[in-house]
Amino acid sequence: PALSEGWSAEKDFKAVGTLSAATQRNLEAVGPHFLAHARRKRHHRTFSEDERI
Amino acid sequence: MSDETNGAPERFAIGISFGNTSSSIARINPEGKAEVIANEEGDRQIPSVLSYIDGEEYHGTQAKAQLVRNSQNTVAYFRDYLGKDFKSIDATPCHNSAHPQPQESTVAFSIVDTASETPSTVTVSEIATRHLRRLKQSASDYLGKEVNAAVITVPTDFTEAQREALTASAKAAGLEVLQLIHEPVAAALAYDARPEATVTDKLVVVADLGGTRSDAAVLACRGGMYSILATAHDYELGGASLDKIIIDHFAKEFIKKHKTDPRENARGLAKLKLEGEGARKTLSLGTNASLSIESLADGIDFGSTVNRTRYELLSNKIFAQFTGLIEQVIQKAGLDVLDIDEVIFAGGASHTPKIAQLARNIFSEKTQILAPSTFTGAINPSELAPRGAAIQASLIQEFDKEDIEQSIHPMVTATPHLKNAIGVEVTSAETVEFQPLLNAETALPARRVAQYNAPKAGGDVFIRVCEGVREIKVTKPEPKPKEEKPKTEGDEDDSDFDSDEEEEEIREIVWKTEKPIAELAVKGVKAGSKVELMIHVNADLGLQITAREVGGQNAVRGAVQAA
Repeated sequence: PALSEGWSAEKDFKAVGTLSAATQRNLEAVGPHFLAHARRKRHHRTFSEDERI
Repeated sequence: MSDETNGAPERFAIGISFGNTSSSIARINPEGKAEVIANEEGDRQIPSVLSYIDGEEYHGTQAKAQLVRNSQNTVAYFRDYLGKDFKSIDATPCHNSAHPQPQESTVAFSIVDTASETPSTVTVSEIATRHLRRLKQSASDYLGKEVNAAVITVPTDFTEAQREALTASAKAAGLEVLQLIHEPVAAALAYDARPEATVTDKLVVVADLGGTRSDAAVLACRGGMYSILATAHDYELGGASLDKIIIDHFAKEFIKKHKTDPRENARGLAKLKLEGEGARKTLSLGTNASLSIESLADGIDFGSTVNRTRYELLSNKIFAQFTGLIEQVIQKAGLDVLDIDEVIFAGGASHTPKIAQLARNIFSEKTQILAPSTFTGAINPSELAPRGAAIQASLIQEFDKEDIEQSIHPMVTATPHLKNAIGVEVTSAETVEFQPLLNAETALPARRVAQYNAPKAGGDVFIRVCEGVREIKVTKPEPKPKEEKPKTEGDEDDSDFDSDEEEEEIREIVWKTEKPIAELAVKGVKAGSKVELMIHVNADLGLQITAREVGGQNAVRGAVQAA
């Protein structure tokens, strides 16, 4: 996708919308990826923080 | 036996699948693979049956054989009675064994389980405890070490009371229940834990076709995490429905020859059931099955054969119910067969080749049907749930009890999921196409990275991050030879297949941009290079977006606040 003529924004980034509301669902507490997710959530870590540990 | 370390006994866990018809035990072997353990009789699918003669307890296949001569003191099909009151249970499966009866708030069986003549009343919880104790013993004997903990699989519709009753029964059998996991998720995990499997975003249907009931579930697998989107249950459909076809077939043959119906005699029916089930299982492997029963009715021996074609013809209606259950659960999830990436066949009745073949016809070419007859790398459908449980057991057995409880707490599992897909618009020539990067139903927070080809000439690249929805585009067949359809280029690949199915309408998934989220520009990209885009969605629906040329230094980043 090429840049169209005359498009400009501060720092080349422009927010134009927001996400639709999410649906609340239950994750299945199974598998290594869930356990990693649970660990992040319990310790309030982000992805990159988690990777560093 | 148990090694005492720091006062607390060491935990040694296995995976157990506990079914109405049969149960299995599994562990992770030293090579790190899940392995189903055979009991001392060599059975990997151990019938969930207990039987008593002269105070001696029989279990598994031995107990099942007692259904013919000692049916009153044989307990079978009891799992679904755990934690239920008498009024809410369906006692049909127990017609040919010890009958369930009310006992205070629970269900019990009246059986002679001691050397004395008087029957004792044994609650279903106690029966489950005895069954689990035998399973634990078999696993301990095989592993040469006392097993004291387990992850047990349960159906998705198990109530809290049933879960508590099962946990209590297991505890009484000397097993600490680390976690109860859902059967379809265990099956999905068994496949995804294979070393050759890669973590992808996919929608999976798990068809668990059991002995006396069948369950289907749609799972969204996103980044290796599972969410159940819909479930469907049929409490009358299963391998037993297929056994009945075989039983009726042979009974009719017997009547033709000898003018008596072996089904009217309890013992005759029990024999037919036992042998009929064997014949049905043989037909899943071979094209012919023979059956021979001594003294079936009126002292007459009976021997006959049936071939698979005949059996499949007779079972058409039942097969249609199995596939109907699968279609029903997809509909319940608000999805189309085109959305499904994988169909996992689990449970004993899934060995039937015809069922998987019929499912093959329902789904598109790209959908993987994971059953022995349609996929060479398929795992034995009977072993999926115990393997999944064993994998989970090995993951959490080192954890403290508190850790496990906190991790599976609703605070952690209740998670916002994306309603729509997030992706980018890709412009090629005149068409604008939406390419999803994060799929709908992705649990948040989530992060995805993708690379896109920059225009050949290089220059400035414009990225538009959008929300998209998928639609099913139906193209009606045209009377004259196909013309190139106006939209997407992907259609060209399909044109080869069109010629012989001109009659059918063509259904395909197309993506439509729902609403734009953010626009970014990466300037001065070299010719032929790629642009990497990373999208991070927070649990509060805020986004961080980063884009840069692959190998480049300057990144464009920005954040979008939640609504």
